Amino acid sequence: MASLKDIRDRIKSVKSIQKVTSAMKMVAAAKVRKAQEKMEQARPYTSALEETINHILPDVSRKDLDLLNVRKIRRKAYVIVSADRGLAGGFNSNIIKVSEKEIAEFGKENVDLFCIGKKARDHFKRRDYNIIESHIDFWSELNFENAMMIGRSAIEHFTSGKVDEIHVIYNYFVNMAQQEIKSEVLLPLSYGDEGFDEKDRLYEPSKEVLVNSLVPRHLNIQIWKYLLESYASEQAARMMAMENATTNAGDMIKSLTLEFNKARQAAITTEMLEIVSGAEALKE
Amino acid sequence: MDSFVVEIVTPIRVVNQENVKYLRCPGIDGSFGVMKNHRNGVIALDVGEIKIETKNDVEWYATSGGFVEILDNKVELLLESVERSNEIDVKRASSALERANQRRKNTKEPIDNIRLEASLLRALNRLKVSKK
Repeated sequence: MASLKDIRDRIKSVKSIQKVTSAMKMVAAAKVRKAQEKMEQARPYTSALEETINHILPDVSRKDLDLLNVRKIRRKAYVIVSADRGLAGGFNSNIIKVSEKEIAEFGKENVDLFCIGKKARDHFKRRDYNIIESHIDFWSELNFENAMMIGRSAIEHFTSGKVDEIHVIYNYFVNMAQQEIKSEVLLPLSYGDEGFDEKDRLYEPSKEVLVNSLVPRHLNIQIWKYLLESYASEQAARMMAMENATTNAGDMIKSLTLEFNKARQAAITTEMLEIVSGAEALKE
Repeated sequence: MDSFVVEIVTPIRVVNQENVKYLRCPGIDGSFGVMKNHRNGVIALDVGEIKIETKNDVEWYATSGGFVEILDNKVELLLESVERSNEIDVKRASSALERANQRRKNTKEPIDNIRLEASLLRALNRLKVSKK
C-alpha cells in the first residue's frame, strides 16, 4: 500500500492538472464563440457575392472561365485543414485518418497536398507525401488574409494545370458536441444554371472581367468558411476533451481521497494497537 | 433629400452609412462618382481609396479591391478588406512597403512580380489614405 505522503502528493498533482484542464476548457469555449461570431459576420458578404455571381454568370460563356473548367482528372490536390495544437480529443487524428484513406484511394503519388495546421504537416511530411505548401501558426491571429493566401496558391496550382481537381477536407461544425469531417471539391467551382432576367444594368468593365474577378473572391470566402468551421470545431473538440478530463480528474481525486482516508485510518488503528499492547505488556 | 444608403460589406464586418450625398470609388477603369439615382449596375473596383461624403462629414477608406453593386439607390460595396483612414495600421503598412521594396531589389522572377506589385500598391494606398 502506498504511503500517506505518496497519496497526498498524487492528490495534489491531480488537482493542479484539473485546474489546467478546466482553464483550457474555459478558453476553448470563449474561442468557439469567437469563431462562430466570425462565421456569422461573413454571411452577408458570402450571400451578396453569390447573388451577384448568379446574376452575371448565365450571360458569360463558361469556356472563358478557367476556374469552372472541368477537366479529365489525372492528378488531384487536397487541402487538409487540421490544427496547430493537440489536446483536442480525436480532432487531428480523425481528420488525418480520413485524409489518408481518401488519398490512398487515388494513389499517394498522384496527389499534392496543401497542409493547413501543424498537425497535418508534421504527419504527412514524416510519411513523405508530396506537400506543396503548408500554412501553420496563424490560427491564433486568424484573419481573412490567410484565406486569400491559400486561395491564391490553390488557384495558381489549378490554373497552371498541375492538378485537375482540388479537394478540401475539413471539420464541419455541427454543434458544440458534434463535428463532422467533410470532403468537398474546391476547384473547379460549380454553379447552378438558374438565370436572372436583368434589364438595364451597367456592367463595368464587362461581364467577363467582372466574373473573372468575382469567382476567385468567391473561392477565397469559401476557404475562409472552411477555416472558420475547422477552427470552431477544433475549439469545440478541445472543450469537450477538457471537460471529460476535468470530470475524470474529479473522479480520481475522489477515489484517491478515499484511499488516503483509509490509509490514515489504518495508520491510526495500528498506532492504537501498538499503544494498547504496549500498555498491556507493562501491566504484566 | 438627395441622399442614399451605402453599405460596406466585407468578410469580417458590415459598415452602414446613411445619408450619403456622394461616393467616389476606384474602378478598374478609373475612379468614378456615385450620386443619388445612379444607374443600376455592377462595377469592379481596384486597389485605391474610397471617399464617402455625408451631409456634414467626409470619410476616407482604403480598400484592396472588390466590387460595387448599385441597385435602386442602395449601394453595396463588397470588398475583401477595408480600413477607415483613422484605423489604418501605419506601422504595418510601412513595414509591408519596406519588405516589398526589398524584395523587388532581390527578385527577378516574373510570377513574383505581379504579387509584389500588388502588395506594393496596397501598402502605398494604405499609407496615402491614412494621411487623410
